[in-house]
Amino acid sequence: MQRNQTFADVFRARGVSRRDFLKFCSLTSVYLGLSPSMVPNIVQAMENKPRTPVIWLHGLECTCCSESFIRSSHPTIEDLLFNMISLDYDDLLSAAAGTQLEDQRRRIMKEYKGKYILAVEGNASTKDDGVYCMVGGDSFLNTLKETAADAAAIIAWGSCASFGCVQNAHPNPTGAAPISDIIKDKPIVKVPGCPPISEVMTGVIAHFHTFGTLPDLDRLGRPKAFYKTRIHDKCYRRAFFDAGMFVESFEDEATRKGWCLYKMGCKGPTTYNSCSKIQWNGGTSFPIGSGHPCIGCSEPNFWDRGPFYQRLAEVPFLGTDSNADKIGVIAVGAAAAGAAAHAAVTAVKKAKEEKHDNKDKA
Amino acid sequence: MGRIIEEIYVWRLPVRLYHWINALCMVALFVTGMYIAAPLFNPPLGEAVFYKGMAWWRYLHFVVAFIFIANFLFRLYWALFGGDKYARFGGFRPWSPSWWGKPFREQVESYLFLRSDEPNYVGHNPVAALAHFLFIFCGSIFMIFSGLAMYGENNPGGFSETLFGWMIPLFGGSYTLHFIHHLGSWMLPIYVIMHLYAVIRHDVVDRTSVTSSIITGYKHKVEEEPD
Repeated sequence: MQRNQTFADVFRARGVSRRDFLKFCSLTSVYLGLSPSMVPNIVQAMENKPRTPVIWLHGLECTCCSESFIRSSHPTIEDLLFNMISLDYDDLLSAAAGTQLEDQRRRIMKEYKGKYILAVEGNASTKDDGVYCMVGGDSFLNTLKETAADAAAIIAWGSCASFGCVQNAHPNPTGAAPISDIIKDKPIVKVPGCPPISEVMTGVIAHFHTFGTLPDLDRLGRPKAFYKTRIHDKCYRRAFFDAGMFVESFEDEATRKGWCLYKMGCKGPTTYNSCSKIQWNGGTSFPIGSGHPCIGCSEPNFWDRGPFYQRLAEVPFLGTDSNADKIGVIAVGAAAAGAAAHAAVTAVKKAKEEKHDNKDKA
Repeated sequence: MGRIIEEIYVWRLPVRLYHWINALCMVALFVTGMYIAAPLFNPPLGEAVFYKGMAWWRYLHFVVAFIFIANFLFRLYWALFGGDKYARFGGFRPWSPSWWGKPFREQVESYLFLRSDEPNYVGHNPVAALAHFLFIFCGSIFMIFSGLAMYGENNPGGFSETLFGWMIPLFGGSYTLHFIHHLGSWMLPIYVIMHLYAVIRHDVVDRTSVTSSIITGYKHKVEEEPD
């Protein structure tokens, strides 16, 4: 592939008409949450800016982010986009392997110093010098630090890179740490989700490509365009939530009627993501649409806030699995027992004193 | 029964009003909050548009919460500027070693039956002041801040979210904050048990009519019964 090609060049080379190219630009503006007046900016950027070089690293992960990224059902758009971000290094998808591939990474790092985007899928083991994740003969911890040093920005793909996900769930034997715990001096965009929605992934890259800046981030470092509202806020079953019409078990009539899954442990009310808006696989469905409660996969520590099918998380308390209500009831019981014991002692003491007084009188 | 030798006006009307509004609000908040966490009733099959099951409970929770907040702010104002010597923050200095000194120690010893005489306070005794500071002041502030942060989630970029949204990352995410808010609500029954027990016990032991004082405002000093 030629270097410094623009998006438009690639489109043209692949026989995409200008009409389709403009459609693509409009669609991208929609996904980015931009107003129609911004479409010319996107067209301009796509036509004139050289493609942004991306180095894509894989650490402790399951590749579900890549699976999401490549498996989109708008082939004429997403597949092209996948070909166009100038994905210069990706140890999963590259034809080359071994030294050749590692040399390519170093070459990109030198040629595009301070200009390339580092996309990280998965996180790094930090315990015992990161020995629990070895890639290309070095620990992923070292590779990550080395590659991040000259990057313009970092995209943390998925919940692993953003928050830690299953790798750093309790008890976290490998000391897995999210990217933001390891790299402190670079702007990081977190794109959580297990995996994130493919349009969200491409949208973040397109934003950087178009404006040369990172998208607006929320307090947890996620792009506001996709993570501003909760799944609950845009859920098509919200009417049943407000009405108090809940599924009580997966076999009941309410399940067949498609009522709210709140009581089945749905984490939609506490999960920030676009699943209920953009949906999955080209707008086919999303977990709640398929009758399954949201497990909150794009939220920090969602593995430790289980079980997935209960509203209230189980937490260790006095050596047992407990929850907020059990802890509360135990504490109330302790308070009541304490008060009763105190009252008993008071009564006994008072009785003794009275006896004593009576004796004095006698 | 001993003769009443002195009548002291301790709890002025603003304090009494605050107390009862606060008590009612907290009970209502506890009940509605628990319902929101575990909705019991399911309406019969039919169209969702005819029911307000969950929306109504949440609405009640929010309305009562804002009354609770207003009442809390009013009490804060009264403590700072009310010039009420039994209702101000003035003497409460838990950060100072002198505050932990003699009066506090004596009161603790008395509660632990380590001394026979009860120190007598017209207003709050130091242990009561500490309990109120922890449960009512700190507890209310935590519940208000976390509650407003979660309320703000309904409207990102709005007033509540802008001012209190920082609570969510501070506690490691929306779900965890919900969990801690839920756990925090159990402060109420714990506090109520301790509060009622302490009040009734003081009334029985000291005979200062502390129980009725929160309605009438008056505490009494009772003459020791001449045998």
